[in-house]
Amino acid sequence: MPSSGLSAERAERLGRSAIASGAMFAVTVVAATVYTSSGGAARDLLVQELLVNIVIVMGLQVFIGSTGILSFGHLAFAQIAAYGVALTAIPAATKVGTLPDIPFGLGDVELGPVGATVVAVVAATILGAVIGVAIARAGGLAATMITLAVLFAVDQVVKNWQEMTRGAGGLSSVPRLTTNTWLWLAALVALLVAHVFRETRAGRFAVAARDDEIAAPAIGINVFWPRWTAWVVSVALVALAGALRVQMIGSTNPKQYTLDVGILLLAMLVVGGMRTVSGAFVGTAVITIGNEAARQIGDTHEIERLPELFLGVALLIVMLLRPGGLLGDADIAAWLQRRWHRSRRREAASPGALAGDEPASDEAPARSAASSGTGSGWGADSGSGSGALVVRDVVVRFGGFRALDGAALRVRPGEIVGLIGPNGAGKTTLFNVVNGLVAEESGTVMLGDRDLSHDPPHRIARAGLARTFQNLRLFGTQSVRENVALAALAARRYRPERVTVEVDDLLAQAGLLAVAERRAATLDYGNQRRLELARAAALSPEFLLLDEPTSGMSNAESLAMVDHVRTTARHVGAGVLVIDHDLAFVTRISDHIVALAEGRVIAEGTPDEIADDHAVAEAYLGRRDASTPP
Amino acid sequence: MSTFVQTIVDGLGRGSTYALLALGISVIFGVMHLVNFAHAELITVGAYLAYFLSTRDINWWVLAPAIVVSAVVASVATERIAFRWVRGSSPFTMLLTSFALERLSHALWQVFVSPTKKSFAGPAWVFDTFEVGGIRFEWMDVATIAVTALVLALTAFVFRRTLFGIAVRAASEDFDAARLMGARANRVIAGAFAFAGFLAGVAAALILMRSPSAEPALGSDYLIKAVVAAIIGGLGSFTGAVAGGLALGLAEVMLRGYLPEGVWERLTDAFVFALIAALFIVRPQGLFTVRSAERV
Repeated sequence: MPSSGLSAERAERLGRSAIASGAMFAVTVVAATVYTSSGGAARDLLVQELLVNIVIVMGLQVFIGSTGILSFGHLAFAQIAAYGVALTAIPAATKVGTLPDIPFGLGDVELGPVGATVVAVVAATILGAVIGVAIARAGGLAATMITLAVLFAVDQVVKNWQEMTRGAGGLSSVPRLTTNTWLWLAALVALLVAHVFRETRAGRFAVAARDDEIAAPAIGINVFWPRWTAWVVSVALVALAGALRVQMIGSTNPKQYTLDVGILLLAMLVVGGMRTVSGAFVGTAVITIGNEAARQIGDTHEIERLPELFLGVALLIVMLLRPGGLLGDADIAAWLQRRWHRSRRREAASPGALAGDEPASDEAPARSAASSGTGSGWGADSGSGSGALVVRDVVVRFGGFRALDGAALRVRPGEIVGLIGPNGAGKTTLFNVVNGLVAEESGTVMLGDRDLSHDPPHRIARAGLARTFQNLRLFGTQSVRENVALAALAARRYRPERVTVEVDDLLAQAGLLAVAERRAATLDYGNQRRLELARAAALSPEFLLLDEPTSGMSNAESLAMVDHVRTTARHVGAGVLVIDHDLAFVTRISDHIVALAEGRVIAEGTPDEIADDHAVAEAYLGRRDASTPP
Repeated sequence: MSTFVQTIVDGLGRGSTYALLALGISVIFGVMHLVNFAHAELITVGAYLAYFLSTRDINWWVLAPAIVVSAVVASVATERIAFRWVRGSSPFTMLLTSFALERLSHALWQVFVSPTKKSFAGPAWVFDTFEVGGIRFEWMDVATIAVTALVLALTAFVFRRTLFGIAVRAASEDFDAARLMGARANRVIAGAFAFAGFLAGVAAALILMRSPSAEPALGSDYLIKAVVAAIIGGLGSFTGAVAGGLALGLAEVMLRGYLPEGVWERLTDAFVFALIAALFIVRPQGLFTVRSAERV
């Protein structure tokens, strides 16, 4: 059942990519045919420009849209590919005259259009892959700056390495393609690649890291690889556009690849909505057509530079009024996906229950978990036995402040341990040390006999520690289902030794099946908390680390959470370490409680022992002053 | 030895203007996490004002302050017109908003004034030189360094001693906390823009004295250098911005002076950018780290 469901899902993912790409391609074909049916060669030029822009912007979407990292550097690779084509395709006889000092024996090289394109695109992509290592490692603003530096460095090299490039004058007499066939083909390929990439593991992980750079490693994603993959794919597309463009116009020069041109292309990506392929497509069409219209209006009314004014105004208006782009998160592929999931659920619901145990939960979200029990599959004892989670003598200092001062605890497989303590006791810091966000000065974190003390967060998650966050870190732009599915995907990939959990089962347990296709950010607070728990559980962890799972909940909801956490943990066979301020909750749920104050363990024991402990009472309520009679 | 000293002075002169611009970018980033790509357009505003006034034979002693004032006004205006409305959006949105403003500024000058370069007369003494111990200095270099030093001293005073400066620094570390302490968001941010405009205005006056001309894309070259300098220093770090600007100026002049002639010399700028890329690979957060208040 799971495997057939999986391949059906894969087929569906490819199917909707093909449908969405085909739809956009068809729209382009029809529009272009209508537009060029009257009017001369000038109209054909606009179509060519639109097609090249589609390829480039799809390339940009793959990286910028999926990772959220702004890049100015992509045009550099279009430029490299264009010069690559020029240098290998210009007839040797011409090169003798125009490039007499050309190095590397390039003077004798004379490739056909296909050969030159392949060589140029591969060369540009390899160079891109190397630079991409730095960009994917850096991330954020630093990555943006590296791309900017790359753009300028390449620009300077092209302008000044006259023996190769003839400087600002550029290269001409590149053999030209006579039909638009290759451009049409490239546009179709670009649309397909952009859509399919979004459905691949790399694409989905990249989007997760874009939505929350801390939550992604917490479900085992190493943000480097999806970012790097996205970069390489996108550079290859942009290089393809550069290689084809030079063969359409027959010449190339540095002016075609300046920052200004780059910003025009970025505007196309952003105006429609960079997060989705549909948005990128719409933006490309709107800006390319608007730009041309502005140019024509400017020509007839003799207003110079009207297109630039149009671009500035269009970009400013969109940023101020619709910062997510005209389409926002609307996307053909995503819409097809929602429809598919809905219809599949209806099918599953009509002949009887899907998994046998959980149809009721849809209607009664909050309390349903209590009834689900240990119904199916792997129960409490199936934990694969990686051993206890043991924290020893951890010391963490922030400046002069000792946040943790020799803290220690142990959670045995399947056990539920509560971690309590007043504000500032170091509870969350301890979590951060355990899952690798904060480096400890000394001390060890062991899972069974594996030392996790120096591992990065994604390795720790893969080892089997999944956590939730005090201030909620969901993948906000993604659907509720996708949030859980991402963790399940990571589990299948990085924790194959464990039995994977069905996404639908977890959603049902959390009472989230009815809202599964909604964007996670639109859920109410309690549901967001339950979703985070479901996401962590989907990793099939050895231990769940829950940071204030009932914060902001009503008393009734907190009580329901006791059963919900228990069932979920038992369902995936995990032990639990839970921080909470709600003592009633902690006392009810825990087998064992550890009390922390000022970075040290001041007491531990069963809930009853802790309730009677003087040190704990003092830490919470303050020491009874000697002068005040008891 | 003497060429070395000259190179240093030359580099510091060039780096001074970068430092002033970078500091402005860093201050604005500090209070609202915007990398302001429209910042160098303030130079363009000053340049066109200088061009219009100089056609009326107005003296540079009046022109220079007028340039500074125009930059302050323009800077505050961008905040009111555009940036106020995207405050709190993602850095990406804010950055593109500033891009839109930059484009718009270019286009407006092109459409309403002229796409071509307009030159005017600089002060007479700009290229005069004097000699100390066998080393020849340009007055303009010395004036640039001196004015910059003065302005930076003033900046240090403002940020250390005045309530406004302390509010800006506090806001750079944690805006929410600063607000709870009574700093008023609108006032602090508008003030930061005014101050950044002042710094850009001083830089503009210095730049225009040396090369008195106005064109729509005048700001672009300086913008890139200033942004790079601010980020080299670590965005939001004020010391870092100044250090980044000076380092960038020195690196440019040094590389130009010491790379062998021929292709290598022509590739100076390419080297500068390659070095910058390398720096971000080693230290993604820039040279000076700013503490971030984000909680996990």
